[in-house]
Amino acid sequence: MKFTRFTIVTLLLVTLMAVAVVPSIAQDTLPRNETLYFNGQQWGPVVGWNPYSNNNNNAMAIAQQDNARVIMFETPYLYNMLDGQVYPLLADGPFAWNDARTELTFKIKPAAHWNDGTPLTAEDVAYTWATHVKYNTPVGAANLDYIEDIVAVDESTVVIKAKLNDAGAAVNPLLVQAYVSTNYVISKAWTQTLEERVAGDPVALLADTAEDVIYSGPYGKFFADDSKVVYVRDDNYWGQDASMWGKLPVPKYLAHTIFKDNAAGTTALKAGEVDVSQQFNSNVQDLWLVDNLPISTYLPEAPYGIGASLPTAFFNLTGSSYGLDNLAVRKAIAIAVDYPTIIANAMTNQSATFDQVPRSLMNPTAGEQALYDHAAVADLQWAGNDIEGAKALLDEAGIVDTDGDGWRELDGQKLSYVATCPNGWSDWQAAIEVVAAAGKEIGIDITSNFPEWSVYQTVVTKSDAPLPEGYDIFMMWSDGAGPTQPWSRIRKLMSSEFIGMPSNWNGNWGGYSNPDADALIQAIPQETDAAKLKEMYTELVRIYLTDIPSFTLMYRPQSFHTVNESVWTNFPFDGDGTNPPVPPLNLTDGWSIAGLYNLELVNP
Amino acid sequence: MKHLLRQTFRSGKFLVGFVIFMTILLTVLIYPLFVKDPPLGIISRGTFLAPGIYVNVYDSMNSSPRYTLILEGAASRRVAGKLGDDDRQAMQEWLVAKGVPEDSIDIADTAGLIALWESNFDPSLRLPGMTNADRNYYIRLTASLEGLLATEDAVVAAANPETGALEEIGVITQTDYVNVGEVPNSRLFVLGTDNFGRDVLTELVSATGVSLIIGFVAGIVATTIGLILGLVSGYIGGLVDDIIVFITNLFTVIPTFVLLILISFSIGQEQRGAFTIAVVIGVTSWVWTTRAVRAQVVSLRNRDHVNLSKLSGHSVAYILAMDILPYIASYVVMALILQISSAILAEAGLSILGLGPRTTEVPTLGLMMRWGLIYQAHVLNYWWAIFPVILVIALITFSLNLMNTGLDQVFNPALRE
Repeated sequence: MKFTRFTIVTLLLVTLMAVAVVPSIAQDTLPRNETLYFNGQQWGPVVGWNPYSNNNNNAMAIAQQDNARVIMFETPYLYNMLDGQVYPLLADGPFAWNDARTELTFKIKPAAHWNDGTPLTAEDVAYTWATHVKYNTPVGAANLDYIEDIVAVDESTVVIKAKLNDAGAAVNPLLVQAYVSTNYVISKAWTQTLEERVAGDPVALLADTAEDVIYSGPYGKFFADDSKVVYVRDDNYWGQDASMWGKLPVPKYLAHTIFKDNAAGTTALKAGEVDVSQQFNSNVQDLWLVDNLPISTYLPEAPYGIGASLPTAFFNLTGSSYGLDNLAVRKAIAIAVDYPTIIANAMTNQSATFDQVPRSLMNPTAGEQALYDHAAVADLQWAGNDIEGAKALLDEAGIVDTDGDGWRELDGQKLSYVATCPNGWSDWQAAIEVVAAAGKEIGIDITSNFPEWSVYQTVVTKSDAPLPEGYDIFMMWSDGAGPTQPWSRIRKLMSSEFIGMPSNWNGNWGGYSNPDADALIQAIPQETDAAKLKEMYTELVRIYLTDIPSFTLMYRPQSFHTVNESVWTNFPFDGDGTNPPVPPLNLTDGWSIAGLYNLELVNP
Repeated sequence: MKHLLRQTFRSGKFLVGFVIFMTILLTVLIYPLFVKDPPLGIISRGTFLAPGIYVNVYDSMNSSPRYTLILEGAASRRVAGKLGDDDRQAMQEWLVAKGVPEDSIDIADTAGLIALWESNFDPSLRLPGMTNADRNYYIRLTASLEGLLATEDAVVAAANPETGALEEIGVITQTDYVNVGEVPNSRLFVLGTDNFGRDVLTELVSATGVSLIIGFVAGIVATTIGLILGLVSGYIGGLVDDIIVFITNLFTVIPTFVLLILISFSIGQEQRGAFTIAVVIGVTSWVWTTRAVRAQVVSLRNRDHVNLSKLSGHSVAYILAMDILPYIASYVVMALILQISSAILAEAGLSILGLGPRTTEVPTLGLMMRWGLIYQAHVLNYWWAIFPVILVIALITFSLNLMNTGLDQVFNPALRE
């Protein structure tokens, strides 16, 4: 008996040691001086390498988004969130609209080629689109309403034909334009191989793991298992041509260890085992102020990063929350909330305050801030914590405590709400707590509740019926920085077009409807005159801050870009002198990949 | 009874456990009489403030009795606080890298070093091997050197509300002191603040109380269920026994914690108050009590005094209560103590997984640990937000187990010395 137990324990120990040792052997084979380590992007093992699919769980390589992730697959253009411009990558020079703004033309760089050496041509771009449409991929479904066709005029010229409305104008030129910096160009030859393999079955096409995929970017698959994923540089990468970067990116390997949780990732960052961190580290400044580690963020002081999105609390305006259709109630809650505490505690100061960047519909980047007339809406913007103002507003509207229970009533019925966000979303939960506390200050009973995400998301995105009880004030995200911003963010915060959708992943989950706002949102994509645009955006901000269908609680960066300079240095930082400026997006997203070409070793 | 109690308290183990437990219990009861702040009130803007006394700067500036103290080394301490040896070393490194001859730098000479630094430092200069983190450090250091060696008084000014012009309202000399006790606003954070900006000590005391209540409720629920089922099953026997044993065995093979997780998850967060969680813990942890009680009752039910009682025509309930229960009472009390301690641990375990009571209503020890972990207090060295909680949990369970062992020594003839 004793012997058996001993054997079992020994076996267990040996297994445990083997499990612990195997990844570290693999780790040792990567030379530290040639490897850039990441965290905060990849959770769980990689499933596939298929650029048509949304289910690869391959966060480092595949993300077709406003700031597309371009280490492996490439887009014609790269978006730069810092200056709002797009820069050619596969494309040769800027794109051009025809005079009617119905057709967008760009050329492909002659130097561009796939990792197997075959040239990348306009035909690849056209065939990629055709495949998206034919198999109804997520990209195809999202763009079908705006793009009629993409054709290759010759070897190097691509024309994107916009879908036209009844008046003969493009339905949405802004979204057509965004396509070129959002979506990958995928090899026609490889796509045809894939189609043959799956025999034209759309489900199989999207489910294929695409281990044999051909790519044009600087990195490809080196190694992937459930402990990490490693990408290796393609030393034959076309971008070393003088027409693009003129050299290869500096690190030979990009590696992402799969950490169990944030704490494990932070520990690795502190130990210098991670160079670029995309994780929320609370009180990030303590890493250098207290721990004296060579760690820094894009900005040396709070808010440490560039805010891009606006996490927002929505009021339920679908009719099922008593009293929220009353503007005075909404406004009183919104101005009473203690935003400085949300920013200081929930975000540990990693957000600009509303004193620094007054609330509007724009994110804190200079480009968006310049799009509205600050003076025209200054008297509508509030910085929060205005308990007396909120009380006065409610008193004036006749919403007072008539039965002496400490809570105010509207037409005899007590105002009581539930503020909510998904469970486990710690910074949001902390923010919702502060919202609830504000209600108690002004005599409106707000309690907090945190359902599981699986429940929360089904309830909130069901926009074809009034929201159920418990969702009076609820938090959701808004768009970050991108080529269609701030238009797309505003649309998702205010447009009534999403009301009635059985599965609404776009926005306006509170069910706000204002025909004036809808008309402006419709008109902006067609407008090209800058002065006129500014007028329209200012009007939208005015409507938003007057009607208060929702209220922004904080600014949140696109990525939490924290770097450890134990091995690598020359990461982007504010005022680093790069031109165009390299944005702090982990050196993988949009124009931030330019940062990979600037890295240097601390000890060469 | 008196004899029994005296015997119990003669057990060293029981006494130590009892003293620890009573200390915790009394703290929970007495502390709120002195500190009346709500335990969940958010009082700091900024998270994880370190333990210490926080003195209002505005008030201490205006504090009317101001004292003059001539303390030796005050000026050098003031300088050392902002310019330590490491900082001097780092300044030297930078200056040397820039090309200032090493022998012209005397890092012990503060005035000379600062003068040299101010005439040489250029934040835009990129020296080889210098990282952006280094650069940020030097910029911060330069900012903190501002006015470091000044001997002049500081002038306090306020804006005139009408004209907006700054007007002098006071002068602070370098030898001015205030008595912390006389400053109207100061706050002692014995254990700092947590991720929400709450006073950890106040929260901890309140959480300990709630966790103890959860422990008691769960313990009583579990023990009551276990006791009743065990008594009925053991005494009545037959089919009833078979059924109860069957159910008990069924529950024995399902890991309790998994059951606990499933039930907590399915009742949803809206319903998960501290009391509900206590009941859930109680109804999932009665199994071993049932088995042990049943085993003891089986051995007791054929004793002479029980048979005598049966012949006298006493009811089953009477026999169980008067003839059997007293024999197993000591065991039941000990089981209850263990149930309490394991229930407190179970709450902590559940809360860490996010399945404990909802966050806002009441603090519990498990919730405090959960939020500490979410905000990475353990990784980022905010020991005060997590270590005291662990210590309290450890002390509660340790004291309860110690009392249990002590009781065992008194009641179990096999262990009696």
